Amino acid sequence: MTLAEQLAAYLSRTEGRPVAVENLARISGGASRETYRYDAVSEEGRRPCILRRDPPGSLIDTDRRLEFLAIRSFLGREVAAPEALVLEVDGGELERPFFIMGRVEGGSPASPFAVDPYGAHAAEIGEQFFSIMGRIAAEPVDGLPILEAADRPAPDACWRRELDYWSGVIDADELHPQPIVRAAIRRLRASPPPPATKIAVVHGDFRSGNFLHDGAGRILALLDWEMAHLGDPLEDLAWAMDPLWSRQGDPRISGMVTAEEALAIWRRASGLEVDPKALAWWRLFASVKGQAIWTSSAKAWLDGGMKEPILLFSGWYTARAQDEILARHLSELGPV
Amino acid sequence: MTPSLPTILMGQVVSLNTPAPPEASGDYAVSRAGMVGMLLMLASQEVERGPAAQAWENRTLRALFAETAGAYDEALGGALSAASGVSEGDGGWSAVDAANADLRRRLTALHEAAEVRRDTGLQRRILDLYVEMAKARRLDLPGAG
Repeated sequence: MTLAEQLAAYLSRTEGRPVAVENLARISGGASRETYRYDAVSEEGRRPCILRRDPPGSLIDTDRRLEFLAIRSFLGREVAAPEALVLEVDGGELERPFFIMGRVEGGSPASPFAVDPYGAHAAEIGEQFFSIMGRIAAEPVDGLPILEAADRPAPDACWRRELDYWSGVIDADELHPQPIVRAAIRRLRASPPPPATKIAVVHGDFRSGNFLHDGAGRILALLDWEMAHLGDPLEDLAWAMDPLWSRQGDPRISGMVTAEEALAIWRRASGLEVDPKALAWWRLFASVKGQAIWTSSAKAWLDGGMKEPILLFSGWYTARAQDEILARHLSELGPV
Repeated sequence: MTPSLPTILMGQVVSLNTPAPPEASGDYAVSRAGMVGMLLMLASQEVERGPAAQAWENRTLRALFAETAGAYDEALGGALSAASGVSEGDGGWSAVDAANADLRRRLTALHEAAEVRRDTGLQRRILDLYVEMAKARRLDLPGAG
């Protein structure tokens, strides 16, 4: 049975009517899950959809229920979240857990290899990017669907929870000793940031390449919510500012706007202030988290039988680039 | 550090010989083949620069440990002194990589000890060394950076 037949069987059973699956095709992106586009065709007509299925080996071990509920938390709230339709944690006919979203048409993500990904629309895209991030930070978490699956940390515990988790990933998945990231972890533990000014939904992978834009200056959908959680909203801001996403020598974040402009946009949209000491901590943490993800990626590549080249790219090229960023950052900070 | 070159090259053979299901053909297959090509291009850089980078790193770490061993307590000092005896076996990629893993673990121990002692001079040296180590392992993508 092909995947299209399996999916059609699942949809027909759960919807209680015949549903055909047409134009099923795997698409690149979202390396932590297999992502497919397809059209669901029933008596009601044709619906463009996205299927996200757990792979046998994953870039990051994340909770698809949390991802699903995070997306659902922001439907219709001006943050460009796609529509979350179906969550199947047992896998059903597809054998592995999956969820289904409505497909947003008319846009594409920026290529990580593009020299000037947004061209003349860079400032418009940057304004929307940091405004959406700010609006997510501003949203009160009480009553959001994500609370069904996410723990709410105390404001002074956000940093420790994230650092414990991601340093644990390195402990578990490291193939070769990494003295640079170990030094950064020690530094972060020795000088915690101030408590979070509020507990907010953190997207967890808010960066260039994780949203669809129409090529004419409009962001259509924010993607890849698989690392969403509740925590300090500065975590998203710092992650987007990691030098990994920007070209060396370009003062703009991911070819969009400068850091000063980004902070001003974020402050306006979130209504929150940015404590420079806190942001500095979260920026070093962002590189540690990145290195943990790339470390995990290399392990997933090996454990998955060395079949997915994107996992190796992350676990090799990107890991080394992240090591350079971390080493420069630590050198600038100097001895403790 | 990342997967070693022999493993990386073997992985590309596996990638190219893994049959794709019908839903993973078309654009996805083209993109995947492009990624394999990019990895092979990076592998060519690793063949060219990797052995020299590894040899330099191992040599530099041994020299640092020989110089600093006497300044630390018996346990750490002994471990640093013993680093000169870390074998690189037959000099092949895997043996040198294993020696490098051993030396890197000792470097982390030395850095931790320097932090505890507030030995800012040694910390500065190690931080500068990190920059050089990361730079020596850099891989270049055409058009990036």
